[in-house]
Amino acid sequence: MNTPACSPASLELSLPSELGYEVIARDAVAAFACRLGIPAERIEDLKTVLCEACINAMEHGNSLDPGLRVQIFCRIEAERLVVEVLDQGVSRYTAAPTPLSIGEKVAGQGSARGMGLLLISQLCDEAGFVTRSGPGNCFRFAFHRQPGHCSSGDR
Amino acid sequence: MSGETPPRDPVERVIELRLPSKLGYERVAMDTASSLARRMGFQPDRVESLKTAVSEAVTNAIEHGNEHDAAMKVVVLLTARAGELIVDVADQGRKPFDHNQTIRRPVIEEVLEQDDKGGWGIWLIRELMDEVEFSTAPSGGNQIRMVIHLEQ
Repeated sequence: MNTPACSPASLELSLPSELGYEVIARDAVAAFACRLGIPAERIEDLKTVLCEACINAMEHGNSLDPGLRVQIFCRIEAERLVVEVLDQGVSRYTAAPTPLSIGEKVAGQGSARGMGLLLISQLCDEAGFVTRSGPGNCFRFAFHRQPGHCSSGDR
Repeated sequence: MSGETPPRDPVERVIELRLPSKLGYERVAMDTASSLARRMGFQPDRVESLKTAVSEAVTNAIEHGNEHDAAMKVVVLLTARAGELIVDVADQGRKPFDHNQTIRRPVIEEVLEQDDKGGWGIWLIRELMDEVEFSTAPSGGNQIRMVIHLEQ
């Protein structure tokens, strides 16, 4: 397969489970993505997705306990940037049996909140919770890289 | 004195960042530190000083402590307290600090005569930060602690 010869580059970040700190994570991961040659408009999508994923981890996974941590692992692969957001699992994620559409929410058929996962799915190329051995939830999303986007920094 | 460990500051918040030892990734540390400093209320000129100091410290860790080995990590700990931001930068210590380098003040005339015009990083960090301390990291590598005070 004709893929760019990029060696793995990774970033690990750990932050308090406190609303507002997702902005610090956003700026760290955006700088990492910029370094890797991800196009600017995709970085804007990445920032939105990362904030939504962190807020979910803080609000739901860690039940807003500031003593708990949110961990973020970013790695670059030949064809994609993969980001994992981990919480400590005070509350385990369970998928809603039939999630409401935006239209149904706007029509008042359910809470106007809870659109984060929908937004994430629209902005990135892959997203979903993945199973892991330890406690806590792990949400993984990925942005595909365009051919040739391999800056000198990650070779 | 009881000798017990003092209690942790109840409003202390810690952010940990682990980066590859590759030049360019110091930018990630700079942007993370500046994002936290802005959130804490530091003035823009102090944020710029912090970015420069963090960049120098991480670059030193990549170039000297880890000798450009991309498989080695640089660990940056950002501790936000009520009146200050503490930045610890640790490498894996392939090459230990030269103590003389940490206290030397470069003489510009001498530096201009040398082929290598570098060697200003630690001096610059000392000029920009309120407190600077060199030590051995818990992992055994080199560690620099920089403190910047929040002026009210």
